[in-house]
Amino acid sequence: MMASRGTSAVLSRAARMRQKLQSALEASALDIEDVSYQHAGHAAVKDNANETHFNIKVVSPKFEGQNLVKRHRMVYDLLSDELSSGLHAVSIVAKTPKELGS
Amino acid sequence: MNYSSPHGGDPNANTNSTAARVAADPDTHQDFEPNSRSSDMSLHDIVAQDIKENPVLIYMKGFPESPMCGFSALAVKVLQQYGVPICGRDILGDLKLKESVKAHTNWPTFPQIFIKGEFVGGSDIILSMHQKGELKDLLGDIAQRDEQKADAHDP
Repeated sequence: MMASRGTSAVLSRAARMRQKLQSALEASALDIEDVSYQHAGHAAVKDNANETHFNIKVVSPKFEGQNLVKRHRMVYDLLSDELSSGLHAVSIVAKTPKELGS
Repeated sequence: MNYSSPHGGDPNANTNSTAARVAADPDTHQDFEPNSRSSDMSLHDIVAQDIKENPVLIYMKGFPESPMCGFSALAVKVLQQYGVPICGRDILGDLKLKESVKAHTNWPTFPQIFIKGEFVGGSDIILSMHQKGELKDLLGDIAQRDEQKADAHDP
């Protein structure tokens, strides 16, 4: 806990999210785009307009056999610390390596 | 949920007034008093019932005709393509409802969409299901049922 707090002070939220998703999902592709600027002035983010909204595209073999709700839950669970510390919304595209080709 | 006491507050508080109300109104019970743990439980039941009773239900920011968030607006727009009756609940004005829905699904964001009693996800998922043609299958009989109802009412 202390260790993760130590890193969170120096890394951006995007970098922390990348670390968490990459290692837990063994992602073969991972795009994280900060789109917070699109939501500036949004009621929920008025006090802290930075790093609130992200688009995530992730390709992971761990999504195999999981429906979309389960895939999104996997991502949300990995980001639960972020969601409870100011991350407001993520748009998630979660695919398996096999689905990429189709 | 963070409750300092497992029983939610002082059980002896307002005993007299509650007892009087219970005696006067058989439909009132201490369990339904606001600001207690039990009131959250009953809200949980209300959410469960809402989900059961409305074949297309969306918990969202704002209302279907006036969404207050781009994701909620997108989800409503997708659902509206199918001509099904959409039941929308605004969670912005009701923090307790919001927390209750989040607790029910263990899903951190809104909108949250339920079809035929099943949680289907948020705006990304509803859009993806729309694009893949899955939503058409899922909503097909609801749209049909609604049409038949409309026909039956036609003179």
